[in-house]
Amino acid sequence: MSSKIARYYPLIPVYAAYLILFLIGRNVTGMWQLMAMLVFYCAIGQAFNIFLGMTGYVDFGYVAFMGIGTYGMALSISHLYQIEGLGMWVILIGAVLAILMSGALSVAVGAVALRLRGAYFAIATIGVNEGFRFLIEGAKIWGGSEGIIFSGQFTHIFGRKTASLISTTWADIFVILVACLGAFVTLRFMLGKIGYALMALREDEDAAKVMGINVTKYKIIAFITSASLVGLVAAFAWGLKLTYLFPDEIFDISYTVECIIIVLLGGAGTLLGPVAGALIYGLSKYWLTIILPGFQLLIFAPIIIVIVVAFPEGVVGVLKRRVRGTVLEKFIV
Amino acid sequence: MKEYCLKSAIIFMAVFGLLLTTNALAVDKVVLGHPACLSGKFAKAGSQASWGIKACVKWINEVNGGVKIGGKKVPLVYKPYDCESKKEMVTSLIGRLATIEKVHGIIAAYSSGLTLTGAPVAEKYGIPYLSQGGASNRIFQQGFQYAVQVLSPATLYQAGAVDMLRKADPSAKRMALAFEDSEFARMVLRGAEKHAKELGFKIVFNRTYPKHVNDLTPLLSDLKAAKPEIILGGGHFPDGQLFARQMSDLDINVKALSMIVAVTLPAFREALGAKTEGIVGPAQWEFGVKYSPAAAKKVGVPWFGPTNEEFVKLAKEFSGGKTPDYHAAEAGAAPLVFVKAVELANSVEPDKIRAAFNKMDLMTFFGEFKINPDTGLQTRHSMVVVQWQGGKKVIVWPEEAATGKLYYPMPTFAEKAKGKVAVPR
Amino acid sequence: MIGIQLAGNLTQGLILGGVYGMATMGLSLIFGVLGVVNVGHGAFIMIGAFTTLLLFTQLGLSPIIAIPVALVIGMALGFFFYYTVIIRLTEAPELASLLATFAIGTLLEESVKFTIGTEFRGYNWDVGKISLHITTLPMSKIYAFVGSILIALLLYLWFSKTRAGTAVRAVMQDRKGAGVCGVNVNWIYALSFAIGIGLTVTSGVLLTMFIPVGINPYMGGAYTLKAFVIAVLGGLASPYGAFFGGLIFGLIENGTYTLFALVPSLEPFAMTRFLSFLILLLILLIKPTGLLRAK
Repeated sequence: MSSKIARYYPLIPVYAAYLILFLIGRNVTGMWQLMAMLVFYCAIGQAFNIFLGMTGYVDFGYVAFMGIGTYGMALSISHLYQIEGLGMWVILIGAVLAILMSGALSVAVGAVALRLRGAYFAIATIGVNEGFRFLIEGAKIWGGSEGIIFSGQFTHIFGRKTASLISTTWADIFVILVACLGAFVTLRFMLGKIGYALMALREDEDAAKVMGINVTKYKIIAFITSASLVGLVAAFAWGLKLTYLFPDEIFDISYTVECIIIVLLGGAGTLLGPVAGALIYGLSKYWLTIILPGFQLLIFAPIIIVIVVAFPEGVVGVLKRRVRGTVLEKFIV
Repeated sequence: MKEYCLKSAIIFMAVFGLLLTTNALAVDKVVLGHPACLSGKFAKAGSQASWGIKACVKWINEVNGGVKIGGKKVPLVYKPYDCESKKEMVTSLIGRLATIEKVHGIIAAYSSGLTLTGAPVAEKYGIPYLSQGGASNRIFQQGFQYAVQVLSPATLYQAGAVDMLRKADPSAKRMALAFEDSEFARMVLRGAEKHAKELGFKIVFNRTYPKHVNDLTPLLSDLKAAKPEIILGGGHFPDGQLFARQMSDLDINVKALSMIVAVTLPAFREALGAKTEGIVGPAQWEFGVKYSPAAAKKVGVPWFGPTNEEFVKLAKEFSGGKTPDYHAAEAGAAPLVFVKAVELANSVEPDKIRAAFNKMDLMTFFGEFKINPDTGLQTRHSMVVVQWQGGKKVIVWPEEAATGKLYYPMPTFAEKAKGKVAVPR
Repeated sequence: MIGIQLAGNLTQGLILGGVYGMATMGLSLIFGVLGVVNVGHGAFIMIGAFTTLLLFTQLGLSPIIAIPVALVIGMALGFFFYYTVIIRLTEAPELASLLATFAIGTLLEESVKFTIGTEFRGYNWDVGKISLHITTLPMSKIYAFVGSILIALLLYLWFSKTRAGTAVRAVMQDRKGAGVCGVNVNWIYALSFAIGIGLTVTSGVLLTMFIPVGINPYMGGAYTLKAFVIAVLGGLASPYGAFFGGLIFGLIENGTYTLFALVPSLEPFAMTRFLSFLILLLILLIKPTGLLRAK
């Protein structure tokens, strides 16, 4: 019994980090928006890690799922705002729509692109992201490049006070909740059969196949989970928080790069990694913009190169090796 | 017991009095925050904006002696952060400005998109939010209470050019529209299309092209086939530069070409040389524009801020000698109108400042300022039209602000290559 | 009428395609030999563009002279980044090399930003025009096209006629085998990376001869994405494949514009791009080795 619970100990540091962030945000003036940004990075890192960390496949077009998740929320609010008495339900509908749409896109992408490996997979996923965005703009789907601006409709539903409270506070709290969910799912996967299967796949895909592991099935499960989670994150962090969208902004590939940096910095395939990576990345970026405005990328680029070359297993990867055999071992996975 | 009562009453009074005085003393400075685009995709316009703002802040503090509030002058403090032209940074930086720096007003980031990004956060903290690079009308249709537009809205961008061309050539009919597919340029396109049709132009070509386009040849080939007499187009700087260059490559000659944004920037001339002769473009502001204390007197509105010459001189101190363009001017106007509103409200309370904005009717070096009280949309500021004539930008419209005459029709690209300039005789 | 427009656009597309193809050969060569996808590809094109711009505006040198200069600068950069970074990543998972090349690209962009600034620049190299019935072509575009073909041809000769070229091909086919046969694989890696980057920087010169405006530190991003599509068209690991892939891409991109424009309510530019990415996906699915490879 106790060993069963002990398996979930690794969640403690992750949740503790989120709790601390939340408390700092609540109680220290001026920290809430910064906290929101950090949790957003944690959440997308966590979601990205479920697929990349476990399978080693680099989805360079990952931001497509964030984009379509944002559309889920935007479409829900901009289409349903006139229905009286829907109130909070409109957000729930938006969230469900975000999960369904990003899930559906990931099934479509997974069915085709997951047959490819390595660089071919990375390029195919870039193709999906760009192609999808240009289809929206070219065929003028969902308003095309005009995007959807629904601040006014959002205020119409909730009234000015509540609307502003939702987009500046509740949207961020929802992101924390999704981040917590992401951590839980990651650990479940790691402990379950899927984790072992994917680990085998990561080491040697062909050998895993020969061993009789249904590699494709587990890959697709991890892919869909990761995509739906990040779609949900974006529905809150971009949809509900900003209350507008433009396709070229939400399909911006630099967010994929940020996901990759976060996961690699923290340690791919670890539970605590994305959180550590997001905190290091987000905080250093934030302080650099304040201390040395304009120089942050110039400073970041060589640091990334050094990290990639010198310790590719990330902060948590190194930490994991250090604590092996100590009490902390149970907590850091 | 009685003594106790008296004592507590005295203490209460003392504390209350202290609170009152500290409250009054609290306004020892007026702080203006700005998530500036110093890097990332808007770095160019963003750095211009920061020069303009710094210039006007300096003028307010040194020439005006600060902000007059409660009978005395307090300094204006400018707090910029770099938002990297990214939306995550805009929201978190505005959050920081509102709570830690306790700013009294926020100058929005460049572009319509980023102005929209920050608006809900500024709204939450109830801080006046000055749009200096967000021209799209849609920002002001969302019911934001604290948003105020300093520059002319996008739908009016080409109106002056259309009026001018109609006057210059009453017989011209065939007009082509080719704008960038961005929030701002689409709004310009819509306004231009409506206005041109009203003035009897026939739209023979109407298309958009995506942002970051690097080859316009296919669009321009189709445009050439439509045989327009006048072309209105543009979006931002790079596409405008490309547009004019490739028109020359394909030898597309028209009587007039009016393009937004790109035409007004000196880099346009640097990159294209003589090819720019005769091209016109609307500008929010242009050096030499005749807004002055005298002009203000003429139309009967108060004047505030540096003159055009003073502004350019101050801005050059911050730009390392580079000439400020209209991105600097529109941003520079933001602290001026803000300070005027604070002085008018005689308070730093957001609602009082916002109410003061509604009452304002004012002229600065950037032009006139008056907003729609309900939406915050700019209604009075007017655009000017410039034309490249012999390597110099000349203001050709409106006639009362003009520094020269329009050259019409534009020389052909072949003529320009041979050295013909568009200087009217 | 449409026929003339279509013919005009196809002509322009063919010429642009030649330059695109040349701009992708470096990417394919590096992937073919080292198995590294250079996500910072566009940044090297940008370096070439600035080389041309500065030589032209500061020293008054014609872009033709910029070609060998760019090649030398590119190869130097290639050797430098190979021995400092890439050498440690050839056996690492894709993630590491993708991120590292991205960071190299960012480093270049930011360095140029801080030394030269973010202005969009351009230059005027007017060497006349040819007016055809269907379209008008400036001579500079024709020089760029001819230059691309010549460079592609030179690369072909180098591959087939020289010892080093043969060794590179051997490593492409079987790196272990080549090592056993006495080829210094590490040197071949370094050389291929340097030549790949050299070609890419040179292509920046040719691209500015085609489009001499819009030169700024962040101009490369769009070309990186296009190069991916073109490289896949040509088989990703084959430099000549990439050249022909470029020609096909140019034809598709410009040719279909006129056709998409016939359908109202479509934004034709975005549709041509959608189409190109759709083709990318189809090829990856059906024939990941590219259109032109028999095997």
